[in-house]
Amino acid sequence: MTDLTKMAGLSRRRFLSTSLYASASLAALGAFSRPAQAAANLAGREMVFASWGGSYQAAQEAAYCIPFMESTGALVIQDGPMSGSKLRTMVEAGEPIWDAVDVTDTFLFANEDLFEDLDFNIVDASALDQAYVHPKGIGAIVWSYNIGYNSDVVGDDVPQNWADVFDVEKYPGKRAFRDRIYPMMEIALMADGVAPEDLYPLDIDRAFRKLDTIKDHVIWYSSNSVSQQLFVDGEVGVGIILNGRAFDVNKKGAPVHVQWNQNIRSIDYLVIPKGAPNAEVAQHFMNATADADNQALMANTLAYAPVNPAAFADVEESVLPWLATSEENQAKGFLIRADYWRDNLAELTERWTEWKLS
Amino acid sequence: MFQSERFWGGLRGVINVLLVIYMLAPLVVTLVISFSSALYLTFPPPGFSLQWYEKMFNNPTWTRTLWTSVKIMIPAAIIATVFGTAAALALSRIKSKWAIAIRGILMAPLIIPVIITAAAIFGVFRIWGLYGTLFGLIIAHVILTLPFVLSTVSANLAVFDRRLEDAAANCGAPPWTAFRRVTLPLISPAVLSGMLFAMVISFDELIVSLFLSTPRVRPVTVQMWSNVRGDTDPTIAAIATVLFLFSLFALLMDGLARRRSGRAPGL
Amino acid sequence: MYLKDRNIWLLAPAVLLIGLCFLYPVSWLLQRSVSEPVWGLQNYITIFSKTIYLGVLWNTVAIAGATTILCALIGFPVAYSMVHSSPWVRKVLIFAVLIPFWTSILVRTFAWLVILQRGGIINDVLIGIGLIAEPFDLVYNRFGVLLGMVQVLLPFMVFPLFSVMARIDGSYFKAATNLGATPIRAFFRVYLPLCLPGLATGAMLVFIIALGYFITPALLGGRGDIMIAQLIFERIDEFGDWPLASALAIVLLVGTGLLFLLINALLKIKGERI
Repeated sequence: MTDLTKMAGLSRRRFLSTSLYASASLAALGAFSRPAQAAANLAGREMVFASWGGSYQAAQEAAYCIPFMESTGALVIQDGPMSGSKLRTMVEAGEPIWDAVDVTDTFLFANEDLFEDLDFNIVDASALDQAYVHPKGIGAIVWSYNIGYNSDVVGDDVPQNWADVFDVEKYPGKRAFRDRIYPMMEIALMADGVAPEDLYPLDIDRAFRKLDTIKDHVIWYSSNSVSQQLFVDGEVGVGIILNGRAFDVNKKGAPVHVQWNQNIRSIDYLVIPKGAPNAEVAQHFMNATADADNQALMANTLAYAPVNPAAFADVEESVLPWLATSEENQAKGFLIRADYWRDNLAELTERWTEWKLS
Repeated sequence: MFQSERFWGGLRGVINVLLVIYMLAPLVVTLVISFSSALYLTFPPPGFSLQWYEKMFNNPTWTRTLWTSVKIMIPAAIIATVFGTAAALALSRIKSKWAIAIRGILMAPLIIPVIITAAAIFGVFRIWGLYGTLFGLIIAHVILTLPFVLSTVSANLAVFDRRLEDAAANCGAPPWTAFRRVTLPLISPAVLSGMLFAMVISFDELIVSLFLSTPRVRPVTVQMWSNVRGDTDPTIAAIATVLFLFSLFALLMDGLARRRSGRAPGL
Repeated sequence: MYLKDRNIWLLAPAVLLIGLCFLYPVSWLLQRSVSEPVWGLQNYITIFSKTIYLGVLWNTVAIAGATTILCALIGFPVAYSMVHSSPWVRKVLIFAVLIPFWTSILVRTFAWLVILQRGGIINDVLIGIGLIAEPFDLVYNRFGVLLGMVQVLLPFMVFPLFSVMARIDGSYFKAATNLGATPIRAFFRVYLPLCLPGLATGAMLVFIIALGYFITPALLGGRGDIMIAQLIFERIDEFGDWPLASALAIVLLVGTGLLFLLINALLKIKGERI
């Protein structure tokens, strides 16, 4: 993978032309990519952007922060890694250090009062798929929970749906599941035959009963890095994996793949903590993240899908099958109902712990 | 057989060897992986490559954060050792019931869940302007490591014969001299243990440092944590190997220095 | 009077630092356990009435206890070796015991996965030499947790033991054997009691630290290997439930404090002190 920390020093245009993903679609840039309003002049202002660190944040820096700095003159300082407790502590204390933060959808929905409303006079979200726009945040990337498999282990027997994954005869040995209640509940129900449109409100008891049938054939991972390990090393043949994680190791040569049937989409939102000292600059920053060019860059680097449909014009052919919002993949999956989890996460997490102890 | 010295000595030898293997196993694995030619973490590695070391040395962040860790660790360990040893001495002499309460307070950082300590210290350090500063991190690390020094030195003081100090006083030695010439040499294994503890704990500390650091002032543990979120590749194996070599070097230097100065290599 | 003055000066720096920078902010946070959502003990009632909290507390004590016992069993001979061996062996042992700290927790954990997993080194070797046919489950269960935790906590048992053992006069043991005691008897009746302050300190340190561990158990453990620190973290990080998290912390604190007093009392009976 190109070392994005080095790339961060280059301008976006130079990056595009020197990167491995230079594409003929540079020509198409002109037609779709200009945002509706000219970039504001924010020379002398600054803001702090906090995200999850590693190559993800490095990609965000190259795709969002640097173009933003170039077009507005503002200074974007990187901080992180993101920590729910740290964010919460600083907002509750009254003057958060971070001005723009990358958070998961469940976190945003469960903690809406920690964030500022977006000022849609400044933020132009008109070009975005409105399913990914929230009064307090813009979808930064869309990703998905997929059925993952190691082709060396399963051979020709590629899993087609979650019921397959739960089938211990078809796939003896262990499968890798996520140690969180979401989306394990949705997955268990789908494995039990429930159609995606009938899932919510979730029949929790039924989901737990289904999980009971295979609970001894599961390796539970609480870190996504461990999930990559499990698949790469062939410790498991099938299981659940984040599409970006599978893309990462697949690109590096590991026999790990995803099945798009029954995928569950999720979003990372960019939000502004309440009371952020540079909230206004952050509002302008949202425009940089909504920009189609920038989104295409993110997609080409890490296979995290754009929320701006116009970005697809610049996306590499080879990356397209990995994107959760490509037409084909989007049709095969559904968006997780974060509002359901906002209301039930606290209670259901306790039930999850209870079930694990049993 | 069970009465023979040789048997027990032999058994101890076996345990020692097994122990060294047990302790070193993860490190050896890490060492091997750091030379992997694969692009992702896998064992055994398919081939040999120096790419991860290249990647590491080309990225100034690693050397910078490593240096920050050292800049935190040394002052924090020294301060914790001085404060902790002094406290241990005082507490071993005080007979009143307050001693137990004070001891409990000083040991508290060990017992309070680290996430709570982190959030609490973060809150006040922000107000006091210590967030994202080296000084703030040092203070936090002193707080976290002091209990170790305190308990280790206290254990030694519990078997220390107070009369030796009294004897020195009777011979006319002022308190500081009595301490320096009599007490300190006798509790030195504990004091040095405590300092060593403080150093390694500070170096390995993650959670509180996560709260108190920024990308500009950041110890290497936080950098590794931040990186693993996206990069599950052998770079961290290369870093871990370098850290290990660095500590090996420090230990050898220490041994060499002792031999030069003529002092017995005690600890 | 003069003596008392000096002790206060010795205590002052540590007490002031911990009092101001630790006790003050932490107690301000912990008082939320009784002040939110309303004044009262409802958070504690929640903890003691819900099976998950009691279950996880029990898990935590069990894992910490097992870790402590294992550390004592392994640490004792190692500390003894450190005292009675050549300086070279001592250096090697010290280095070996401290090694885990120089490698970050992530690296350690991944390395253990590589070693312990079903397709990992140990299983490959055992199957390769024909000892077993099916791989053992050495990780993602309690065994893996204990293996990982003992490795990191061993120094906290070894060093206090070492520093106490180093001060024990070998002639006590010799005297006992000269008087007719067998080595085993001399060990249990003479040597071991002399090591007690070190052993007790080590056990206390290991136990208390183990109680607060959550990253290693989460990564190396199985479905049911949940420790209380993980719940506390979850409550704060995901739900912002400071009151309940604080209450859990206080329960942990009080429990540990009682244990500490208990051990202290037991040692006082034996004439020692931690």
